Amino acid sequence: MASSPSERGGLRVPPGLRRHASLLIVYGLILILCVYASLSSPNFLTERNIFNVLRTAAFLGTVAIGETFVIISGGIDLSVGSVIKLSVLMSAILMNGRPENIGLAVVATLAMGAAVGLINGLLITKLRIAPFIVTLGAYSILRGVGYTVATMPVGKAAPGFLRLYDLKVGPVPLLVLFLALLTLAGVFVLRRTAFGRYINAIGGNEQVARLSGIRVDRVKIGVYVLCSALAALTGLLYLARAGVGDPVTGEGAELQAITAVILGGTSLFGGQGGLIGTLGGVLLIGLTNNVLVILNVSSWYQELIQGLVIVGAVAFYKQKRR
Amino acid sequence: MTDTPILEMLNISKAFGGVQALRDVSFSCRKGKVHALLGENGAGKSTLIKILAGAYQADSGEIVFKGQRYAGFTAREAIATGISIIYQELNLVQLMTVAENIFLGREPSNRLGVIDTQRMTKESAALLEQLRIPLSPSAQIGDLTVASQQMVEIARALSQNADLIVMDEPSAILAGQELDSLFATIRSLVEQGVTIIYISHRLNEVFEIADDVTVLKDGRVVGVQPIGEVTRARLIQMMVGRPLEEIFPRATRSRGAPVLSATNVTTERLPRPASLTLHEGEILGLAGMVGAGRTEVARALFGADPLRSGDIRLKGARIQPRSPRQAVQAGMALVPEDRKTQGLFLEQSIRSNITLSSLDKLTRFGVIQRGLETATIRRAQRELSIAMASPELEAQYLSGGNQQKVVLAKWLQTSPSVIIFDEPTRGVDVGAKFEIYQLMRQLAERGVAILMISSDLVEVLGMSDRILVMHERRIVAELARDQASEERIIELATTGSQAEMKPA
Repeated sequence: MASSPSERGGLRVPPGLRRHASLLIVYGLILILCVYASLSSPNFLTERNIFNVLRTAAFLGTVAIGETFVIISGGIDLSVGSVIKLSVLMSAILMNGRPENIGLAVVATLAMGAAVGLINGLLITKLRIAPFIVTLGAYSILRGVGYTVATMPVGKAAPGFLRLYDLKVGPVPLLVLFLALLTLAGVFVLRRTAFGRYINAIGGNEQVARLSGIRVDRVKIGVYVLCSALAALTGLLYLARAGVGDPVTGEGAELQAITAVILGGTSLFGGQGGLIGTLGGVLLIGLTNNVLVILNVSSWYQELIQGLVIVGAVAFYKQKRR
Repeated sequence: MTDTPILEMLNISKAFGGVQALRDVSFSCRKGKVHALLGENGAGKSTLIKILAGAYQADSGEIVFKGQRYAGFTAREAIATGISIIYQELNLVQLMTVAENIFLGREPSNRLGVIDTQRMTKESAALLEQLRIPLSPSAQIGDLTVASQQMVEIARALSQNADLIVMDEPSAILAGQELDSLFATIRSLVEQGVTIIYISHRLNEVFEIADDVTVLKDGRVVGVQPIGEVTRARLIQMMVGRPLEEIFPRATRSRGAPVLSATNVTTERLPRPASLTLHEGEILGLAGMVGAGRTEVARALFGADPLRSGDIRLKGARIQPRSPRQAVQAGMALVPEDRKTQGLFLEQSIRSNITLSSLDKLTRFGVIQRGLETATIRRAQRELSIAMASPELEAQYLSGGNQQKVVLAKWLQTSPSVIIFDEPTRGVDVGAKFEIYQLMRQLAERGVAILMISSDLVEVLGMSDRILVMHERRIVAELARDQASEERIIELATTGSQAEMKPA
């Protein structure tokens, strides 16, 4: 946007850096990690390894995009891991290896996700229960439901569905393309639609949003529906990878997703942030894990390092804002 | 002014960044007198006082206090030499007693460091007695009214042997009788030779208590006079920099048909039924003390608080707004009292702020039409002359006046037929204040019905075509413009009636 003609008044123009500091940091870290890894091991910078990292990122990425919407709206969703678990079980059982069931399984699973989001959203808006509590409850309930359904892998993906995981468009795995398109679609929704504006407004100041005539409850419910539906979609991706419904799928995904969102610079208080940052957070987590494996570092260290990175990064963002 | 001054501040200048807060300000007070310091928000009163308190250092100039020259003070030196400041936000520990607060940080103690409570209580009692303040030294601060707490601050100042006490808008937190007892205390302080600097917006008080007055505007002294030699109109003119009749734009049209009528409306926070009618093209002022229920009326009309009973009609059609959204769709807008927490998204762009309530018109299938939005923003910027470098800038970087214009711009996009302004010019500098008055009048001239809540009586009297006065959550009177006066409104707002008033 070109600056307007009336540039009078003693305006302090904030350095554009402030808003983008977190992006610079997260993508800077990714770059450093890539350079370091490619110097340390010949196995890192291969087409196979890079696409592998990106394809793996599609799983966390899909949940994290939904979580970003929720967090920008000023909420939080702790139930996504359990939704993924339920989704993978449900779709595996419904599909049961039969190609003719693919449509039914996919639609029913996504509907289940949307329904969970709807219930979360209704509890949060109509009964005014804090999102943390509602989704913590949902996390626990759905996890319990998951384990009553199955404690061992169940069901089976149809062969055609299983092939999705390995499908490529040219050299690019389908899932990588999917993640890229999903991110772009999310960016568009957040920046260019009324729904996106309202999400930002509600997260920025719910009271002002209400007094401005925004249907706050409806937008918030929409955000939770979207988030849970994306979690259910992630469950479907897991089925395409594993071929069976494994009941441990999705455990810890909620914290991974929140980690990615925060690494991407989205404020936990809402109103500020975006998906390009979240994508960076997802890639950084994926790359860290990959590099540690390539360098033969014990997997025990992975979580420790992730913890350090998140606290360090956020501490750094805070400094930048002062 | 022939008496020797106790305090002279000479050629004081102070800048913050690029903003010159004080320019070559000279200010002096006679010993044992009450000197009023007047000025609009941002005129430099606080800065001057903070320099005196040692909170800021002046860039240039000097202070002569009791014959002694100082280039500047530290906060500690200011207190030690006998200067005490009583700020609007009182500095008292709520869980301690009156005596403990008076001696806070200077507790009398024996050789073992044990506090001599008895002596503290006795000295406090003597001090309160001397000021004729009826308070027990052992009362807990948290149990006292704000007015009594203010008295404790005054007692503390006196216990520090203050020769000069600065009171920063002491009346802002006081009501009717409390103000009288503050004045009584001030008079007894003056009798004892203490000098008072009294900061206020309220001209009535200034005429009642002050001996001299200094007016600041835009960081300069625009007038120093004994109070007997100045008129109210002259003071206002000095404060705002133009004659009174030019500040408030006149109405050229007469009011039209009723637009909004509320009958016996009650909400949880507005227990007594309130009724009012708002006409096309008029500005209806709603006056009253803070907490009199004015904001509650606005919230009820706007659907922000659920109605318990009553009837709200807009252009004859019954609307019972159950949410602000319904009120907005019916054609209402609310410019709220606290811009920063209720009106604006400070951390979001000016663009998002301006179009937020009218996105329905700017979207196709939910997608914002960027070109259309930009055109809207440009038009709003032109119409309201909003000074901004770019619409992508976050709203928090705008000045108070420009922030208020952004809030107004947001509502103008919805083409409302009724706009409720709650304290429209609070925290806005004089220039922008003037512009906001012009805009409000222009809107009324175009037929918009305006309800204006304001605590600034000059504003209420200057802008309103009609005035409603509230007292204890009830609308107690309706005054036509030519019946209203500052005294009459204050009387109604503080007592709820004007039984003892002679006809004006």
